[in-house]
Amino acid sequence: MRHRRARFLVAPLIAALGLIVLASPAGASSESIGACISEHLEEMITHSDTDHVLRELREESTQDDLEACLEAPNPILPELNEIIWGGAAFLILFVVMVKKGFPAVKGAMDARAERIRADLDAAETAKADAQAVQADYEARLADAQGEVARLFEEARASADQLRADLTARAEADNVEMRDRATADIEASRQQAIADLRTEVAGIALGAAERVVQSSLDEDAQRRLIDQYIDEVTGSDD
Amino acid sequence: MTDGLVAGYADALFAVASAEGDPAAVEDELFRFAQALRVDDDLQSSLADPGVPASRRQQIVEDLLDGRAGSTTVAVVSMVVAAGRASRLPAIIDAFVERSAASRNKAVATVRSAVELTDEQRERLTAALNGATGKDVEVRVVIDASVLGGVVTEIGDDIIDGSVRHRLSQLRESFR
Repeated sequence: MRHRRARFLVAPLIAALGLIVLASPAGASSESIGACISEHLEEMITHSDTDHVLRELREESTQDDLEACLEAPNPILPELNEIIWGGAAFLILFVVMVKKGFPAVKGAMDARAERIRADLDAAETAKADAQAVQADYEARLADAQGEVARLFEEARASADQLRADLTARAEADNVEMRDRATADIEASRQQAIADLRTEVAGIALGAAERVVQSSLDEDAQRRLIDQYIDEVTGSDD
Repeated sequence: MTDGLVAGYADALFAVASAEGDPAAVEDELFRFAQALRVDDDLQSSLADPGVPASRRQQIVEDLLDGRAGSTTVAVVSMVVAAGRASRLPAIIDAFVERSAASRNKAVATVRSAVELTDEQRERLTAALNGATGKDVEVRVVIDASVLGGVVTEIGDDIIDGSVRHRLSQLRESFR
């Protein structure tokens, strides 16, 4: 910082010194157009009469000398007094700038640098915050993706289990229905057999009753009664 | 309640029959009437029909027993029918018969047979039942064609079934 300030001070001093040094050679060529023309005219009048002067004025060499007076001064090197006044003004302005402007500019620049630095820090903080948010978001996203994957897995497992349960239940129901149907068929078969047996027995017994009724004549009735009496008699022995 | 009702009517009938002097004759007539009533559903429903006036039901009894039973028997049956207990009349008569037999120290044996028993069979059966039950049994034979053959004897709650019907029923059961 100190080196930069020294360079600011040295550079204008060198420029002012050069202008002062180079100003002296330019002093000869720094006379005015009027003085130049007056000098030529005074020389011609001093050495010649009026007619001769008029003749010399018509000569090309004289016109070239006069035109030479009209040529522009050195565009680079100003007049010495201008250099002096300009240098003084420059020095004054330079001192003012060094004393007043530079601290103000420097303060503004420092403030701006500080603001930029604060902005950079804020940006850095914001970036860090954003990165933290991003990391948190990515973590949440990863968690959500993991949760989604877990839920998918659970749903798939549940679906598999449900399918297995339904299949097992359907098979069990099928077996139960088959067993029940088999039992029903067997029960129906047994019932049909029993009904048929009862029917056959009824028919057979009806036929037997008719045979017995037709065969029970008086002798048979008497024998049955006697047999009954004998059985009752025998039962008390 | 029902048994008490039947027993009460039986006692009342027995008291009336005893008061009239010949309970044995009334017992025999009532027994026969009860057997006829058991096999005749139309008669039983007519006598038990509450829609038929009591006087009409009594007239049916009098017409039915006219000349077949004494006045005491007609009177007691008419009384039971008029009281609206005709549906219980067989049970009341059974209780009366048992009550009457018990008064003579006898037990009534209702013997059902498809044919009438000979006197010799009746005596032998009485002796056999006396020996089997240890009681002095009085045999009352009821001709019941549904017995088919053989004999069914009822003494109180005991039944000795030697009928062909019973044997056929046993045979029918064995087929099931």
